[in-house]
Amino acid sequence: MKWCGEAVGRGSPAYFARVARLRRALLLLAAAACTAAALLYWRQQSDDRATRPLHSLYTGVEPEWTWVCRNERCERLPAAETSSLQSLPTCNMLCASTQLWPQPTGPVSLATAAVPVRASAFTLHIVTSPSGHVSDHLEDAFSLFLEDLKALEKNTISDKRSDIGPAHEVLVRISVNGSSDVRMLIDTDESYKLSLRPKRNTLVADITAHSFCGARHGLETLSQLIWLDPYAGSLLALEAATVEDAPRFRYRGLLLDTARNYFPVGEIVRTIDAMAACKLNTFHWHISDSQSFPLRLNSAPQLAQHGAYGPGAVYTTEEVRAIVRRARLRGIRVLIEVDAPAHVGRAWSWGPQAGLGQLAYCVEVEPWSAYCGEPPCGQLNPRNPHVYELLERIYAEIIQLTGVDDIFHLGGDEVSERCWSQYFNDTDPMDLWLDFTQRAMHVLERANGGKAPEMTLLWSSRLTRSPYLERLDTKKFGIQVWGASRWPESRAVLDAGFRSVISHVDVWYLDCGFGSWRDSSDGHCGPYRSWQQIYEHRPWVDESVGGMGQVGDGWRVEGGEACQWSEQLAAGGLDARVWPRTAALAERLWSDRAEGAAADVYLRLDTQRARLMARGVRAAPLWPRWCTHNPHACL
Amino acid sequence: MVIVVIGSVNLLKFLFHEILQVRMDWHWTLIVVLVQLAQGNGGNGVDPTPDLYEPSWVYKCEPEEGCHRSERTKPTAANSSFMVFDSLDVCRTVCGHFGGLWPRPVTAVLSTQTVKMHPNFLRFTLLDAPVETSEILVEMTHVITANLLAECNGNVTEMVATPVIVNIAVKSPSLELTWDTDEQYLLDVENTVDNIVVHISAETVYGARHALESFTQLIAPEFSNQYQCGLRIVTGAKIRDRPVYKHRGLVLDTSRNFIPMVDIKRTIDGMAATKMNVFHWHVTDSQSFPLESRRVPQFTKYGAYSANEIYSTEEVRESIRYAQIRGIRVVIEIDSPAHAGNGWQWGKEYGFGDLAVCVNARPWRHLCIEPPCGQLNPANPAMYRVLRDLYRDIAELVPKPALFHVGGDEVYLGCWNSSEEIVSYMKNKGFDTDIEGFIRLWAEFHAKALQIWDEETMAVGGQQQHVLIWSSELTQPNRIENYLDKNRYVIEVWEPLSSPLLIQLLRMGYKTISIPKDIWYLDHGFWGKTKYSNWRRMYEHVLPRDPNVLGGEVAMWSEYVDAQALDTRVWPRAAAVGERLWSDPRGGGGGFAGAEPRLQRLRARLRARGLRPDAVSPEWCAQHDARCY
Repeated sequence: MKWCGEAVGRGSPAYFARVARLRRALLLLAAAACTAAALLYWRQQSDDRATRPLHSLYTGVEPEWTWVCRNERCERLPAAETSSLQSLPTCNMLCASTQLWPQPTGPVSLATAAVPVRASAFTLHIVTSPSGHVSDHLEDAFSLFLEDLKALEKNTISDKRSDIGPAHEVLVRISVNGSSDVRMLIDTDESYKLSLRPKRNTLVADITAHSFCGARHGLETLSQLIWLDPYAGSLLALEAATVEDAPRFRYRGLLLDTARNYFPVGEIVRTIDAMAACKLNTFHWHISDSQSFPLRLNSAPQLAQHGAYGPGAVYTTEEVRAIVRRARLRGIRVLIEVDAPAHVGRAWSWGPQAGLGQLAYCVEVEPWSAYCGEPPCGQLNPRNPHVYELLERIYAEIIQLTGVDDIFHLGGDEVSERCWSQYFNDTDPMDLWLDFTQRAMHVLERANGGKAPEMTLLWSSRLTRSPYLERLDTKKFGIQVWGASRWPESRAVLDAGFRSVISHVDVWYLDCGFGSWRDSSDGHCGPYRSWQQIYEHRPWVDESVGGMGQVGDGWRVEGGEACQWSEQLAAGGLDARVWPRTAALAERLWSDRAEGAAADVYLRLDTQRARLMARGVRAAPLWPRWCTHNPHACL
Repeated sequence: MVIVVIGSVNLLKFLFHEILQVRMDWHWTLIVVLVQLAQGNGGNGVDPTPDLYEPSWVYKCEPEEGCHRSERTKPTAANSSFMVFDSLDVCRTVCGHFGGLWPRPVTAVLSTQTVKMHPNFLRFTLLDAPVETSEILVEMTHVITANLLAECNGNVTEMVATPVIVNIAVKSPSLELTWDTDEQYLLDVENTVDNIVVHISAETVYGARHALESFTQLIAPEFSNQYQCGLRIVTGAKIRDRPVYKHRGLVLDTSRNFIPMVDIKRTIDGMAATKMNVFHWHVTDSQSFPLESRRVPQFTKYGAYSANEIYSTEEVRESIRYAQIRGIRVVIEIDSPAHAGNGWQWGKEYGFGDLAVCVNARPWRHLCIEPPCGQLNPANPAMYRVLRDLYRDIAELVPKPALFHVGGDEVYLGCWNSSEEIVSYMKNKGFDTDIEGFIRLWAEFHAKALQIWDEETMAVGGQQQHVLIWSSELTQPNRIENYLDKNRYVIEVWEPLSSPLLIQLLRMGYKTISIPKDIWYLDHGFWGKTKYSNWRRMYEHVLPRDPNVLGGEVAMWSEYVDAQALDTRVWPRAAAVGERLWSDPRGGGGGFAGAEPRLQRLRARLRARGLRPDAVSPEWCAQHDARCY
C-alpha cells in the first residue's frame, strides 16, 4: 500500500514526472530561444508595425494546460510553466473534493493517488447472494457498468502524451445479504458499503449491500472513482477508498410526460441511464393524457389505436418491457401513470361503436376553455361500468408489465366539474369524483390480486383538500403534492397523515419558464428554475425559504420528484431541459445536506455533467468552459 | 372458436386489401392484434371487435383553419376529396394561402394539387446566367437536392419518372454579398402534360438561392411506412418575393463555450432554411480565443480551451464558403477593447509588455461584467501591432467587400483605472482621469483599430467599408457624434425595448441593426432575472421601418449553452425572427394563427435536415391547426 502510494501517487503526477522533466528541459530551451528571437525581431521592428509574421517562430505550438492542486484547489497553468503535466479530471479527482454525485451520507475516505485501469480488465466475483435471480441481475448490472466504462474509454483522444505504466486488474466482489427481490420496492434497503484497496497489481473493490439495488448503487459509486485521463489516454482509478452510503429519502423521482409530445424509446432509455448515474430510483411515466395515448396495451389496444399521434408514436408492450428491464438493472422502478378521470381524450372515444356507451365526455369539445385547462378536453364517464372494467384491465397489464405492485399512480388531477355537471346534474361533481376514485381504487385492488398497493398516489387537487381529504383512506392513498410550496395543501396533506411525494410547481417543475404556447394565456408557469434553486429547496425543513412552515410530527415525506411536462418539449430537446437540473434534485433527495449550492456543489455537479455526457446525455453546461478550467474562479 | 378464426381471417384479408388501396402513414407495421379474441370476457364484458389496432389518420385541409386530423374513412367516391391527405406535411404544403413557406413570401399563388416527383429526375438548367455564377449556382443546387433527399431520411423510395426541370436565370455576374445585394426573386411552377417546369429568375445568385429554398418548400414527404417514402410537389405556383430588411442575422458566441464546426454548419443550415443572411460570429471573448491566427499563434496557444477546440484558418475559410453557398455572409467579431483576456495574456513573456490588463483578475466583480476579466491595453503600442496582425489574417480570410465587427461593448473603466501604465499614458496624453477621459481613451482605441482595419483591408486589395460596433456608453447620443463617424460605423443596438437609443441614433442619421436584448436574446430566461422569449414573443416584435434600420439579429450567447443544448435553444425561435426580418408581416394573416402551421412545417423541415428544434406545442396542436388558441 505504501509502495503504491509512493510510486503512483500524490500521485499520478509522479507517473508523468520523468517525461515531464524532459519536456520541461525542452520547453525551457524552446522558450529561451523564442525569447531571444523575439527580442531580436522586436528591435528590428521597433518603430514600425510587425510585417514579419510571428508565426514563423512559433509554429506547431498547441495549447496545453496543466492543473496543479494548490490550497485544495485546482489551478490551470500553461504546461510549460510546471514540471508535471496533469489533466483537469485527474487534478479534480485527487484534489480535496470527493467529486461524487450524489454526495454519500455516510463516512467517506478517498486516497489521493491513482492507478491506471482498463475496462477490459474488470472481473466480477459474487461472494454472497440471496438468490440466483439476484446473481443474474448483478451480472447484468455489472455488464452495464462495464459498458459505461467502455463508453468513457472510447472518448480517448488518440494522442497519448504520457506513459503511466501497466493497467491494474480490478476485482469487484459483491455481497448481498438480504432481500432476494431484485425490484426497487418501497421498503428496499438501498444502503451499501464500498471499499477499494490495492493488492499487489490488483485493485479489489468490495461492495456489500442488503439488496440488489443497494449493490447496484455501490457499482455506480465505484464508477465515479474511475475517470478518463485525457493526457494519459487511459482510465485511472483511485487506488483506495471507503464509502458508506444510504439515501435520505426513499422515493426519488423524475416524471416524463410522453403524451403531450411523443419521445422515442431511445430517449427514455437514455433518461433512465442518466437517472441511474444520479441514483434516482423512480421513473414516473406520465404516459397518457388528453392529447394522446401512445401505450398499446394488449388488454385494450383500442386506446392507442384511437389515441396515439400516429403509427410511429406508439409504445409496444415489448418496448415497455425493454425499458422496464433496463430500469430494473439500473435500480429504478417504472411507475406508469394513466391519468384519470380527467386528462383523457380521443383514446376513449370508441365506446359507442363498440357497444360500450360513452366512455368519456367532453372529448375535444369546443370551446375547450370552458371544460379544461388546456386543449383538448376530455373526462371519463364515471357512471359507465365499462370504464371501470377497462381500468381494471389497464391497471392489471401495467402491473404485469412493470412488476411494480407496491406503488401505483392513479393520476386524478384537474377534474372539470362543469364537464360532468352537463351530464349528471343530479349529483355534486365532487361526489362523482370521490366515487370515481374509490371505484378506481377498488378495481386497482382487483387488478393487483385483491391487494391494495402499499401506496397509491393521487395528484393533489380539490379532492385532496378538506372536506374531501378526510374521506380518503390514509392507509391506501399517498398524495403527490404539486401546488406551490407556500400553499397550505402540502402541510394539510401531511398533517392528515398521508404519505406524500413533493413536486412543488414553483421549484421542481422543469417545464416552467418557456412562455405560453397559446394565444389566450399569458404564460405557462414560470419562471425557469435554475439547478441552484432546485438544489436548495428543502420544504421539509423548518427554516427553509419557501418551505412549508413548521415541520409536523409524524409527517411522512416519502421523497420528491422533478416533473418534465412536455407541452413545449419534444425528442431532441429533452436532455438539455432535464439535465443537469434533475441531478441537482437527485442529490437533494439522496444526501439532503444542509448547505445550499456551495462551491463544492458546483464543482462536483460539473464533474457529474461530464459523466452524463460520456453516457451520451446532452446535458446543458453549468457555465462557460473557462469556469470548468478554473475551478472556484467563477464563484 | 373456429368461426371466429375464419371470420378474422376474412377480416384480415379485407384489411390487407385496404392497406394496399389506401396509403398508410409511416411506421406501418402489419401486426394485427387479435389478443382479445381468446379471452373469455363474459356477457357484458368489453369484447372489442377484431380490428387493426393501429392508429391511422388522414388530414383535411379546412379553409381558414388549416390541417385537421380526422379518422380514415373507408374510401368511397363520395368522400375522396382532393383536400384530404395521408401526410400532414403534404397537407401543410398546399393548405392556406402561403402553404408551407417560411418565411412568408410577398405574394404567392399556390395550386392545391400535388404530384409525385423524384430527385433523380430533377434537372437544373442555368438558362440565362453569367458564366461567373455557374459554379456557385451548381453548388447551390446540390444543397437543394440534398435537402430534398433529407425529407425522406436520405432515401426517396417512391420512384416516379416525372421530370422536374428548374430553369434558373440570373442577371448579375457579381458574387458579392452585401447590404446592397438584390435578394428578390420570381418563382413559377408549371405543370405540363408530362413534366413540371420551374422558372426561377433573380438579379443575383443569392436571389436565385432564395428561390431554390422556396422551391424545396413546395415539396413535402409522404411516408407510407417507416421505409417507404415519396416526395410530392405542388403542381403550380407563382411566387414574387423580396426581403423587407437587408440584414437578417444570428449571433453565435463560440468563446464562452466552444461550438464545434459541425454544429456551426448545422446552425447555418437552419439559417438558410429561413433565408437569414448574416452569421455574426462572436468568435472570441475574455474566456477563450479559439480562432487560429496564422500570424499570431499565441492567441490560440494561450486562449483556446484545448488543441481540439480551435477553428483553423482552413476550417474558417471553408465555413465562409459553406455559408456563402447558402446565401449567408459570415461576419467575424473580435470583441475589443473589453471582452478580451485569455489569448492576450502572453505579452510579458514575449517582451511585449501587457497586451491586456486585468486578465483573469480576482476578485473580478469591480473589473468586469462576468469572470474572467480582461481588457486590451490601449497604452501599449505592441498591442496595436498584434491587433494589426490579427486583422490582417482576418482581412485575408473574409470575402470582399469585408464586413467586420469590432465589438466595443461593456468596457469597464475601473479595469483600465486599475492599471498604472494606462493611467500614466492618459496623463501624458492630457486626458483627464475621470469618466470622460476614459471615454476618450476608449474612443481613441476604436479610432486606431479602425485605421488599422482600413489599412489591412486595403493592403489585401479591399476598400474602406462600414464596420459594426455594439452600442455602449460610447454610443450615447451626447457622445457618439464626437467619437464615431456615422459614415463608418453601423451601430448594433442591444439596449432593451424600453431604451430610446435606437430611435435617437436613427434621428441622428446613424445606420443601425436592432437586437433588443429583452426580446431577441436566446440565452435569456436561463439565468438571473432575465425572461425567456418564446417564438411568439420574438415574432411579435417589429422594428421601425426606417431606411437606416438595416435589419436585426437574434443572439445566442453561450455562457449556458454548448453543442449539447445549442439547437433547442436556437430553433425554431430564430426562425421567428427570420420571418420578421424577411417578411415583416403586419395586420391580417400576420398573427400567430397564420404563422403557426407554417412554423410547424418549418420545424419538421429543420428536423429532416438534421437539426433538433424545440417543440412549440403539443403534437395534438400540430395535428389540429387553430384548435389550440
